[in-house]
Amino acid sequence: MPEQPQQPEGAIAGTGMGGAMDLAASEASTLERRPGGGGPRGTGPAGRPRSLWSDAWRDLRRNPVFIASALVILFLVLISVWPSLIAPGDPLACDLSKAQEGPRSGHPFGFDGQGCDVYTRTIHGARTSVTVGVCATLGVAILGSVLGGLAGFFGGAWDAILSRTTDIFFAIPVVLGGLVLLSVVTSNTVWPVVGFMVLLGWPQISRIARGAVITARQNDYVQAARALGASPSRILLRHIAPNAIAPVIVVATIALGTYIALEATLSYLGVGLKPPSVSWGIDISAASPYIRNAPHALLWPSGALAITVLAFIMLGDAVRDALDPKLR
Amino acid sequence: MLLDVRDLHVEFRTREGVARAVNGVSYAVDEGETLAVLGESGSGKSVTAQAVMGILDVPPGRITGGRVLFRGRDLLTLKDEERRRVRGAEMAMIFQDALSALNPVLTVGDQLGEMFVVHRGMSKKDARARAVELMVRVGIPAAAQRVRDYPHQFSGGMRQRIMIAMALALQPALIIADEPTTALDVTVQAQIMDLLAELQREYRMGLVLITHDLGVVADVADRIAVMYAGRIVESAPVHDLYKAPAHPYTRGLLDSIPRLDRKGRELSAIKGLPPNLMDIPPGCAFHPRCPMARDVCLTDVPPLYEVSGDRGSACHFWRECLHGRS
Amino acid sequence: MAGHEPILEVSGLVKYYPLTRGVLFRKQIGAVRAVDGVDFTLVRGETLGIVGESGCGKSTLARLLVTLERPTSGAIRYKGEDITRLSGRALKAVRRNIQMVFQDPYTSLNPRMTVGDIIGEPYEIHPEVALRGDRRRRVQELLDVVGLNPEYINRYPHQFSGGQRQRIGIARALALRPEIVVADEPVSALDVSVQAQVVNLMARLQGEFGLSYVFIAHDLSVVRHISDRVGVMYLGRIVEIGRDTEIYDHPTHPYTQALLSAVPVPDPEARERRERIILSGDVPSPAHIPSGCRFRTRCWKARERCALEVPPLAVPERFRAQGGPAAHDSACHFAEERRVVPPEEATPGHPPGQPPVPGGEPHEEPA
Repeated sequence: MPEQPQQPEGAIAGTGMGGAMDLAASEASTLERRPGGGGPRGTGPAGRPRSLWSDAWRDLRRNPVFIASALVILFLVLISVWPSLIAPGDPLACDLSKAQEGPRSGHPFGFDGQGCDVYTRTIHGARTSVTVGVCATLGVAILGSVLGGLAGFFGGAWDAILSRTTDIFFAIPVVLGGLVLLSVVTSNTVWPVVGFMVLLGWPQISRIARGAVITARQNDYVQAARALGASPSRILLRHIAPNAIAPVIVVATIALGTYIALEATLSYLGVGLKPPSVSWGIDISAASPYIRNAPHALLWPSGALAITVLAFIMLGDAVRDALDPKLR
Repeated sequence: MLLDVRDLHVEFRTREGVARAVNGVSYAVDEGETLAVLGESGSGKSVTAQAVMGILDVPPGRITGGRVLFRGRDLLTLKDEERRRVRGAEMAMIFQDALSALNPVLTVGDQLGEMFVVHRGMSKKDARARAVELMVRVGIPAAAQRVRDYPHQFSGGMRQRIMIAMALALQPALIIADEPTTALDVTVQAQIMDLLAELQREYRMGLVLITHDLGVVADVADRIAVMYAGRIVESAPVHDLYKAPAHPYTRGLLDSIPRLDRKGRELSAIKGLPPNLMDIPPGCAFHPRCPMARDVCLTDVPPLYEVSGDRGSACHFWRECLHGRS
Repeated sequence: MAGHEPILEVSGLVKYYPLTRGVLFRKQIGAVRAVDGVDFTLVRGETLGIVGESGCGKSTLARLLVTLERPTSGAIRYKGEDITRLSGRALKAVRRNIQMVFQDPYTSLNPRMTVGDIIGEPYEIHPEVALRGDRRRRVQELLDVVGLNPEYINRYPHQFSGGQRQRIGIARALALRPEIVVADEPVSALDVSVQAQVVNLMARLQGEFGLSYVFIAHDLSVVRHISDRVGVMYLGRIVEIGRDTEIYDHPTHPYTQALLSAVPVPDPEARERRERIILSGDVPSPAHIPSGCRFRTRCWKARERCALEVPPLAVPERFRAQGGPAAHDSACHFAEERRVVPPEEATPGHPPGQPPVPGGEPHEEPA
């Protein structure tokens, strides 16, 4: 019996005293009426039924980190849909004579190497970058966790095939793969780029999901559900998924930043979005050679990228914590 | 007195608060004596042992008071270097989980021999020879061949023997065994306890046996100290304690275990749960679970009353408990 | 309360796990014989204890009984019907009646479900048992039955201690009103003082719900306490089975005798009176089971015959005629009775099970 003084379990039960130790009848009725720990909640009466999701939502609504990151993301979505709301200018209206000039009235962020207004371009660039980041992440997370989760759950030949397939995908160099695959694409929209990222990104999530599912599957509560006669889909959705989702959320939100940056790299190499399009990636790669002369042209798009990535990571963290009852 | 622990206090600082794991524990062990420290999880029995051995994790742990006298020297005031020399050479520890206590990438011969190389400055070859001798002594068959095996190649019982051999290597005066047989099957458990008792007699070592098993205690201990919520609630020679416990917690424990030699109807369980160490009840920590508790128990912490020359009980009503009808 | 109607009949139950080698082309190189020919009958309302050391196959047996695993061969008949080949709806129906309590109260409850959801899940899987609107009330009733406050329905498992979690696990097992509960080491993860609470609870529920138990444990004392009959397992087989006094007071199989003699008894007086049989060596691996009698490698009585002939689990011939408590099933060629647990002496202290009444006696100085 190892001792764990750091996490002592249980509080004192039934403070009633003086009763003889004749527990023949009273054992069940007086014992352990009070569970240990005693979280901040749960002191009230039974009330309406609660579930993991409703509890998580209650928790999130009171979490300042969640509120802050959700507001940032809401703002990003807003300017992605209607960039002209706060940046009425034309991001493509550039004047080479103003190249690399600093901030001035009406142009708070200054001008970049082509003489374009950095403020306007940063706001208008949100649409592409956020779309690429969010769509690629969602695609990767869904495809990866479904494939990896099923492989981990059912095992056998399906698992072996999938594991070897992920090995093959891991061996493909991302940039080289992008050069080859995207060079044949003519469309100048974000979708080929998103598709490429999903294609190369899912194995990462699938591995994590597979491992998390295998860990969760071995728990006795899964056996208990089977012994009750639960169907495989019920076991997967009710017992395994909620317990395996945390690492997927963490990795996916971190990957989101990578995808926005990858879009920039691909654009820089000329296989992503091409110049009439506006994106943070394009601007960051365009501004990096002039970092000494015009740091402001690099600062604003990369600052926007950093804030976006941070907001998603914090959101992911908050959601993960809210889904873990132990942390409430 | 070989080991004399006086009024030891240990705390753990955690995010949720301060857990008072050990709250004034005193016990003593003499050469050739076996002291059993009995307690449930969270009673502070293992933490006390870690503090005595000097292997407590600091932080989060912290020794906030008391003295640990080993042959008259206070170990808590020694420098790290001196403390290390005492550890292993003069006092040794046996852990519950031999598999995680042994290094999986070194052969058992290397691990046993290392003791002699480090502490005695022996050559590798001599150290290996001593390792084989030790393995023979603790009853490992074909020791000369098996000395080259890795820990995972041994069964649970054999690994525990190797742990004992390591503890024994430098012939320490004191061994602290923390649940040495809990992870083992009964038939193997009996082998290991026999071996420990035999070696202890042979080398006249002091043995502190930490356990939750009243059966194991009855089989080997001379004296017994019962711990609850970081304090010793009863201390007595083993025969006296089993015959007539002087603390209601001890009595409750004895009554709540099923017996091999009789068929009970209903076990008289102790009601409630062990206390939360961050929130130990005021007065006597056992009062919420105690069938004898009265008003004074809620407010006054009972000292360890002297019941007779060599026994003590931390219960305000030890007399009633001791002579309590039936 | 035990009747005579058999509710579960296990015959020739075998579970082998193949040992394979190779990644792409798997080749079977042997088998772990976890359960290797087990027969017993469970009578309605009784408790059958199964004891054995780690690796003896008792946990595999538990999983076979609740149809979490399919046996390699053999049959488990529940009310006459072999449940080992069932699937689909028929299997689901059987599972309603045979439930399990798990060993580890920390991994057997889903940490992301509330207690209400955990105990209520059986009703969602078997909606015919309880109407939707009625389920919450039933869950609260169950909480009350196992001695927990019904208001804790919205709490999560980590807010409870080990003993309380085990009560939740028991409530879940009882939700469908099963007839048989298989408990695999239900108290071995609990503290001594809490163990007794859970054992008492299980004993009480057996009467209240008319349950039949298969109680699997390594702790011989706990098993004796709760069982009407006891089977001793060694390396995948039952080597001796009988009523509790037959096994504990009149054991005839050398393994049972060694096992019993090794159990530490919480009575220092017994140190001198007891006879201890210290077995040599370790349990052989279930992948390499000795020929003949599987216990012969550690047995002090082993002779040539033991290596050649598998001893059947039956009443040994020499006891068949004389009857008495020694005449029970024991798989040994050279079975003889040997009492290893000393008979209890009237101790001067307090008799078992009767706690002290405080303040009832005049004060005396201790002797």
